[in-house]
Amino acid sequence: MNAHAKHTADATTAEEGLAIQQAQAKFDSKAATDLAMQNTILTPRFYTTDFDELDAIDVTPVRADWDNLLDQMRRDPNKGHFRKTAEWDQIDWEGMEPELKKEFLDFLVSSCTAEFSGCVLYKEMKRRGNNKDICELFSYMSRDEARHAGFINDALREAGVAVNLGFLTREKKYTYFRPKFIYYATYLSEKIGYARYITIYRHLERHPEKRFHPIFKWFKEWCNDEHSHGEAFALLMRTDPRITESFTSKLWIRFFLTAVYSTMWVRDHARPRFHEALGVDIDWYDQEVFRITSEIARQVFPVELDIQHPAWRKNLDRMNRAFQAMDRAKQKGGVSGWLGRMAAGAGAARAFAALYLIPIKANVPPENVRLQPAY
Amino acid sequence: MGLLTRTTETAPCTVEVVHKFEELSAHVRLDNGAVINPGDTVKVQGPPVLAGYGEAVSEQRTAFITRASTLERFWTRLTGDMEFMELCEFSFSEEATL
Repeated sequence: MNAHAKHTADATTAEEGLAIQQAQAKFDSKAATDLAMQNTILTPRFYTTDFDELDAIDVTPVRADWDNLLDQMRRDPNKGHFRKTAEWDQIDWEGMEPELKKEFLDFLVSSCTAEFSGCVLYKEMKRRGNNKDICELFSYMSRDEARHAGFINDALREAGVAVNLGFLTREKKYTYFRPKFIYYATYLSEKIGYARYITIYRHLERHPEKRFHPIFKWFKEWCNDEHSHGEAFALLMRTDPRITESFTSKLWIRFFLTAVYSTMWVRDHARPRFHEALGVDIDWYDQEVFRITSEIARQVFPVELDIQHPAWRKNLDRMNRAFQAMDRAKQKGGVSGWLGRMAAGAGAARAFAALYLIPIKANVPPENVRLQPAY
Repeated sequence: MGLLTRTTETAPCTVEVVHKFEELSAHVRLDNGAVINPGDTVKVQGPPVLAGYGEAVSEQRTAFITRASTLERFWTRLTGDMEFMELCEFSFSEEATL
């Protein structure tokens, strides 16, 4: 037995792995009291929706595809994938450049929170629903998200960050989303998540020397889960043409696409060290993610943003500058800070309006909805 | 529940926290079937339910529910949708500088 094994990934036997885990658990409770570990409280939000409308969904129009997808989720091909193997290289967290470490930890904590919120939302939908098809779907998605969260949590623990789940005993306000908005937002979120992860994964296949943390090696299977969750929402949206085809629905979809793409642009550009370490040009990466997401979204959305339009990049950059100005004004405070914030807010709103008004490309979603992860 | 007044009630609940490698999750289940509506707030009584690494904890607690007034409920239904960005996964927090 390797007496020096510090991580379950290094354990050669199950008993050894368990012993390491137990020792680690002791460290956790100790750490919680002496604050040796940085404590990060997860702050997921809580939602309610129109559960009657959700129950009224009838998947009959897409039954064959639905059964197929649910069968795949039931078989759970990724079970056992999210475990650490010899591929999990040890990381010198102490030696990591501080700016990069900050941005990478932000990446891990944000991703963990997102998985966690998804898990809470999906489980709530499963619990409150009475529709057998819908409940089964949400139970699998909730399972996957909890699994991803556990995996990221483990990477955080290695970095000395303990995730605190004590938020449950704080007061929580439940906000409300229409089911339609949940479909648009989660569909986009899952598909854009897929596009983001697969683009980084493929990039690192070509440049393995840039892989500064082993978690990127797990991105492919991870994003395949995201992909199939997105497929489920695509099928849900296809059960009723009004969800995507009505005039107002098209305006909303256009709004969601613009908001999600531009937010991603601004947030990615605020994390220069992370992308530099991966050797990724942020402009290129974001446009590539938009391209992949737009191509995939043709399966269900009747409109597509024109990301090659000359006004597209110009206004994304404007939006980014407005947010940077906003941040500087916030730090400044006082009257001039307030004025700066107003000006920056107006600038961001103008850029958003300009992006929204770029003529869209109309699209006729294909007869056959289902897609396989192909990127 | 009045137009402007809030009411409160308590409900027995089960808090489940799983803090394991294969699963990280935390859920509250109201055991008397109480239904949470838009704008309501829920607070679980007692100290935080904490599970050490490798543990799964399930505890019976009491939840304190504050029912939103009719106006608040209406407002939450009307405006809640606009918070949809929270459902989107961007890998990074909204902080412009860390």
